[in-house]
Amino acid sequence: MGLLKKLFGKPLDELTAPVAGNAVPVSQVPDPTFAEELLGKGIAIEPTEGKIFAPCDGTVDMMFETGHAVSLVADFGAEILIHVGLETVSLKGKHFTIHAANGDKVKKGDLLIEFDLDAIKAEGFNTITPMLVCNSADYNTFKTNVGKAVTNNDVVIELSK
Amino acid sequence: MKEFKYVINDPMGLHARPAGQLVKAVAGYASTVTLIAPTGKADAKRLMAVMRLAAKQGMELTVQVDGSDEEKAAAELKAFLEANL
Repeated sequence: MGLLKKLFGKPLDELTAPVAGNAVPVSQVPDPTFAEELLGKGIAIEPTEGKIFAPCDGTVDMMFETGHAVSLVADFGAEILIHVGLETVSLKGKHFTIHAANGDKVKKGDLLIEFDLDAIKAEGFNTITPMLVCNSADYNTFKTNVGKAVTNNDVVIELSK
Repeated sequence: MKEFKYVINDPMGLHARPAGQLVKAVAGYASTVTLIAPTGKADAKRLMAVMRLAAKQGMELTVQVDGSDEEKAAAELKAFLEANL
């Protein structure tokens, strides 16, 4: 971190893991919409806990009423999409509890969504949770920290324009 | 400018994945594509804006295509919507 800051001359903006679990490259998500990074670069987490936290200070842009996805605009400008599991839209809100609304100002670490991880798995869904930066093309530096277990205190993406 | 209307048929509405597929389909055109829904108006090249429409089944979208390839883009987008939404 310190070294990176020196190399790039200014501090990188950071996104922490939205959920505790195993951080993996987004290319490992078995859904081309996310894996091909056409919607933006990112990472994915295989969750071990059913709580989604804000990865940075920002504003909730769109909390899906089903609770399966949320988008945020970071105070530093990144447009972030967190999608809990794959195909989970079809649960229509079952097993999800929403803790933030559109337009809410949030701080890094604020609880956004709770979900029943075991119940969602038991219904046969893959709970892998991609987090994408939709405007990643605006950033010259985009570094991901994956391949390890993380909690919501760990930085998983560092980026700067 | 070309304009057409489309009523969303997908029971799940315009959720994240189809919104992403739409943005991906539109990205290749020179034309500006604007979606107008009862819930707002969105630049179809911006995923966050498209998702913010929260467009549901039965909702009518007006699609405006404006630019040098508007004929082709409008025809292809209409086919895309019919096939995916």
